[in-house]
Amino acid sequence: MNNTLDIYQLKNGMILLGERIENVHSASFQFLLPAGASLLPDRCCGASSVINDWLFRGAGDRSSRELIEAFDRLGVHRHASTSAHHLSLNASLEAGNLPSALELYADVIGRPQLAAKQFELSRQLAVSELQGLDDDPRQKIMTLLYEQFYPDPFGRPAIGKLDQLQALPFERTADIVKRMPDPSKTLFSICGNYDFDAVCKQIEILFDAQSNQGLIEKQPASKGKHYSHFPSEGAQVHIGLMTPMPTVASEFYYEIAAAVSVLSGSMSSRLFTEVREKRGLCYAVGANYRTMRDYAGISCYAGTTPDKAQQTLDVILEQFRLLKDGISTDELQRAKVGLKTSLIMQGESTCARSSSIAADHFLLGRVRELAEIREKIETLSVDSVLRFLQKHPFEDFTIVTIGPNAVTV
Amino acid sequence: MNFEYQKLDNGLTIIGEVDPLAQSAAVGFFVRTGARDETPQISGVSHYLEHMLFKGTDALSALEVNAAFDRLGAKFNAFTSEENTVYYAAVLPEYLMDVAGLWIQLMRPSLRNDDFDIEKNVILEEIAMYKDLPQFEVMDQARALHFGTHPCGNSVLGTNESVSALTASQMRSYFSKRYAPNNMVLACSGNFDFKALCQLAQEQCAAWGAVDTTRELEDFRGTFRTKHLQNENLARQHICLLSPALSMQDPRRFAASLLGMILGDDSGSRYYWGLTEPALAEIAAMQCESMDGTGVFYSYLCCDPDKTPKVLDIIRNIFAELEKTGVSEAELETARNKMLSAVTIKCEQPMGRLVSLGFNWIYNCNYQSVQQNVDAIKAVNAADISDIIYRLKPSKFTMLSLGPNSD
Repeated sequence: MNNTLDIYQLKNGMILLGERIENVHSASFQFLLPAGASLLPDRCCGASSVINDWLFRGAGDRSSRELIEAFDRLGVHRHASTSAHHLSLNASLEAGNLPSALELYADVIGRPQLAAKQFELSRQLAVSELQGLDDDPRQKIMTLLYEQFYPDPFGRPAIGKLDQLQALPFERTADIVKRMPDPSKTLFSICGNYDFDAVCKQIEILFDAQSNQGLIEKQPASKGKHYSHFPSEGAQVHIGLMTPMPTVASEFYYEIAAAVSVLSGSMSSRLFTEVREKRGLCYAVGANYRTMRDYAGISCYAGTTPDKAQQTLDVILEQFRLLKDGISTDELQRAKVGLKTSLIMQGESTCARSSSIAADHFLLGRVRELAEIREKIETLSVDSVLRFLQKHPFEDFTIVTIGPNAVTV
Repeated sequence: MNFEYQKLDNGLTIIGEVDPLAQSAAVGFFVRTGARDETPQISGVSHYLEHMLFKGTDALSALEVNAAFDRLGAKFNAFTSEENTVYYAAVLPEYLMDVAGLWIQLMRPSLRNDDFDIEKNVILEEIAMYKDLPQFEVMDQARALHFGTHPCGNSVLGTNESVSALTASQMRSYFSKRYAPNNMVLACSGNFDFKALCQLAQEQCAAWGAVDTTRELEDFRGTFRTKHLQNENLARQHICLLSPALSMQDPRRFAASLLGMILGDDSGSRYYWGLTEPALAEIAAMQCESMDGTGVFYSYLCCDPDKTPKVLDIIRNIFAELEKTGVSEAELETARNKMLSAVTIKCEQPMGRLVSLGFNWIYNCNYQSVQQNVDAIKAVNAADISDIIYRLKPSKFTMLSLGPNSD
């Protein structure tokens, strides 16, 4: 529970965070680069999806094949993803291979080859992936929901838009990649079995670039529509909805976490009980808190056959609205135990913690230690959660459906 | 980490891997029953029964069960496959005995008619949900095509018709034949007291009566048929290929898994260089699934419908080349390293260990430590893989293609 936290800032501004976990043989690290979907130039929606693949198609002196083989020989489990603010490169591996893996990432981030032929292949793959979204309505609905919920450009889909991806120019994308590794806005985090001094020394040498102009943040525009329906000939109507909430930096963060847990934390939660257990309306129903730096909300998904769609939506909305009217002591106690357990189990996973400490630093400007979070959870009371809910009632919903029929909202 | 074992007189096996340094503990019941143990009349009953176990006992209602798990902060769930039904929970060490006690109670459910009727709606919704997910639909259909009349081709979910027609009394009869203590393993990993767990099981489970449970274990190489299911509403072509692999009882299964990784891992495999890297298929993956007495290599390909002929030509070339020249030492070394790091990372959490601990016992009645797994992976050489290629001939496969294409 008391993992040791390390922090160090390079001269060029790049911040290194570390949390040592005892008794593990692995290490996981993450680079958060300031090239998220909201920072991309206009008409480049989906460029980060292309870049996530293109970066690994040759870097430094290694060709695409040599680079991938070098990663695989080290047994590195790689993952690249994009949020509104960041392009994130994650790796998990046996701790002994850490120095070699960091060298490879330094090449990928700082010296990608960016060959035109490889760009075209990465772009084609990104187009294919986007087209595949039509065959995955559960994922598609959330993409559509976020786009409608957040003010533009914060809801822009990382997976892209077809017309923009098809027309994405090589030169513009290469320019994004060159401006991306702005060290003053880059975060590196590592968790598990590592020597922080050695990691800092190595990164200081590998990432010695100075800050550049970087990508420019845009001013948010207005939000999308209140309700949209996208017709499709599926077996189910997929319902996505989202309501605004304060961000993680708010003083009410722990009250929000408890409220979401009461609503949808586990199988005794309100949504599961009322929608699935008592009425048998759905197999899948659940809600999550999602926070960015400036915007946050609770999102909810449910999938149900067309004749039950309206009732499902009505029951879900009713459960959101009823929450402020009362929470039992037992409900709050269950929420608190669930939150604490998740926290401690997260502390056993090098991968989960490396992502969490980086997110904390970006969103809060500091890393919360596990003990601090645990203490805040302990101090929650029914009164404090209800006070928050009465001050921030769930009233404003953005709703999206995909399926054979629409619903009335 | 210490391994512990005890068997009750009625045949219930209790196993544990104790790690006093772990921050959590995980416990689960592994029941040796699944879709392959069903007749067509009760297709889907194993999975439906898994849902019904959460509906409680004579002493606990469904809502009380859910609240009891949540009071312990348990991360809990269950899953049903073709041959196993597994119930598991991960908790903080201080709650381990309570959550184990709860699972023990639930293993003797009431199976009330009212709960059965409401839950039927949930099961039918789950079937509808997977109908909208072609990546799952193609696997289900391909498995049925590959196994033909062999029971491993049975659908886990069943169909709308079979589930709608199922009665609570059919379910009770199935339960009494399959959830016998001699057909179940209680497994635990992480920071917990094994003696206390055994004492609890002795007190609560000793009265459960043993039943003669059997399962026909027949290897099956596959039908090698090809089928196209046209669905013009789909955007992509979803293709599943199946060919024979090795069973969980076969010690060469580690070599078979490594072969699956060499061919179809998502990074640096032959599928990657042949299909994903040149942007012909956005997903091209293969893995080996070892089962009870049999096994299959699965490939899943997702591509533009127009590119399907080219994708399949490349797949055939990959298999032809493999059968001609085998795999190189360098390829094997890379696959080994990837598998070893995956094992290391997975085993760092009690929940990750629980699943391999339980399955090893269900299939082989033995314990395999992390180190033994590591040694088995390291011991595989290129000649072992060549032998598997020669015996199993992966170029001969069953194929199911689902998407806009009619052939």
